[in-house]
Amino acid sequence: MTTLAQPSQPVQSRASRQRELWKRVRKTWPGYLFISPAGLLITVFSYIAIIFSLYISFHQYDIISEARPFEGLENYTRALSDKLVRIGFRNTFIYVIVIVPSITIISLMLAVLGNQVRRGRALFRTVFFIPTITPIVVTSMLWVWLYEPTGGINRLLQMMNVEGPNWLFNPKTALPAIMIMTIWGAVGYYMIIFLAGLAEIPEVFYEAAKVDGAGRWHTFWNITIPLLRNSLIFAFVTLTIAAFQVFTQVFIMTQGGPMNSTQTVQMVVYHYAFQRFEMGYASAISWLLFGVIFFFSALQLKLFISRELY
Amino acid sequence: MARTLSDPGGGAKEQNRLLLVATKRSFTIIVYALLIALAFSMIFPYLWMLANSFKSRTDFFTNPYSVIPMPPTLSTYYDALTIGRMGVYLGNSILYAAAVLVVQLFIDSLAAYSFARVDFPGREALFLAVLATLMLPGSVTLIPTFLIAHGLGLTNTFTGVVLPGFAGAFGIFLLRQFFLNIPRELEDAARIDGSGFFGTYWRIMLPLAKPAMVTLGVFIFLNEWSSFVWPLIILSDWKKYPVTVGIALFRDVNQINWPAVFAGSTIVSFPIVILFVLAQEYIIGGISLSGLKG
Repeated sequence: MTTLAQPSQPVQSRASRQRELWKRVRKTWPGYLFISPAGLLITVFSYIAIIFSLYISFHQYDIISEARPFEGLENYTRALSDKLVRIGFRNTFIYVIVIVPSITIISLMLAVLGNQVRRGRALFRTVFFIPTITPIVVTSMLWVWLYEPTGGINRLLQMMNVEGPNWLFNPKTALPAIMIMTIWGAVGYYMIIFLAGLAEIPEVFYEAAKVDGAGRWHTFWNITIPLLRNSLIFAFVTLTIAAFQVFTQVFIMTQGGPMNSTQTVQMVVYHYAFQRFEMGYASAISWLLFGVIFFFSALQLKLFISRELY
Repeated sequence: MARTLSDPGGGAKEQNRLLLVATKRSFTIIVYALLIALAFSMIFPYLWMLANSFKSRTDFFTNPYSVIPMPPTLSTYYDALTIGRMGVYLGNSILYAAAVLVVQLFIDSLAAYSFARVDFPGREALFLAVLATLMLPGSVTLIPTFLIAHGLGLTNTFTGVVLPGFAGAFGIFLLRQFFLNIPRELEDAARIDGSGFFGTYWRIMLPLAKPAMVTLGVFIFLNEWSSFVWPLIILSDWKKYPVTVGIALFRDVNQINWPAVFAGSTIVSFPIVILFVLAQEYIIGGISLSGLKG
């Protein structure tokens, strides 16, 4: 085979290029073997799954009946006029709009403050991190107890002479209660992200600012924030994607109630898919959610990156 | 301070300096006070959980917010393990987490090594195809994954719980990054000694990648241990439930027996706490890395 190769030939012919490719394949074929287990799983559970999901979103599909008629956009139009879906999207939007900036700002503040102290820094980091690694099922149950009418939260409020509501059973306070718990549980994680970002900022910048006589606030806005940009983008985008799909804490704490006040899109998808077995319809709703998530992450990345990133 | 007293001429300037020191010190005190208060809010719910898990029911109803159980009892743990069946769930969770941990580490590292070091045609495109799945929201894949598992006859089986977790795009990405930074000379030596691709991976690369493997391993374990939605959907028999689904069920049927629920929650959290104490640096290092790379 090698005898046929013409090294002096100026333009490689198609045939010889193909031979080269074959030679490479023959030398490196174990590479394909090594990626095949992962490749097979990812193909089935991501690529086939997503195509399948799109397919059934255009059909009436449940696991029980054999008849699965094509319905075109029926599921999508039904979702757009479904009151439960609308409530789900409204609550999810409120949730995302509150949660994402709150967690970003609080964890950034914690990281900056934690960076200021010398003694006990590692201990603070550990303590703030504990809620992050505890299974969300456990923290949710713990907070159900804290939110009881005479529970820990209301006792704390009582000490400040405020009468607390019946948090999880009042349509006005149930969603905020879940949001507070989620913020409490997530700030430790993003604090670690920001601490790592802060550690990357060269000391020289701060020294230069000091020489110029810049105050704390000035330094924070003009040095820390711009140089933390990568961490900030990461936090913002990943938080947004995760927040749009909120499920477990709602499932444990309120089951979507009272009076649908904590119904989120993912709860609605679960309801239709696994309680009413309308898989096709539920898939259509999940694609609407995907569309919204895609739109917002693309928008965020565009906004951030257009301001000269990297 | 002694110098400031002996300095006669400093007047206003000195006063300014003292003021600056004072504000700096009070700033530090405020920072500490704030951090300590927040740290308490983080840790206190867990202290309550732990304390209440040792309280008898009467003790709990009279003093639900005392931090010291009077007298401490282990009957709550007995209840959690018998009525709450936490022992069964604990065994299942250990099994699920161990299976996913071992298999995913092997599959991910093998693929990562291949993507980092074996120069097969189409490598870049295939790696991008793997990475792209990181962008897929789990919300969209949940229903089809269930239907595929159902089609394969895996509903309510051990395999059904663990199979989708056997490969992870994030793990492949993380390990590939690590393999890329290992000097090539080390493998070349092995190659000259007649090692094939697999021999190089197994004998040279895997031992070198230990830190990255531990980091990924801890993440896989934490993830699997906390996983709730997937086992909730795929399983219908309580004998196969992991701790997360099990404790939720236990609370649902035992609304009144909070101390036993707290005992169960403590049992669920315990392995995590142990892991965290042992592997804190790896966990924090791994999270820091994902933030910086992003």
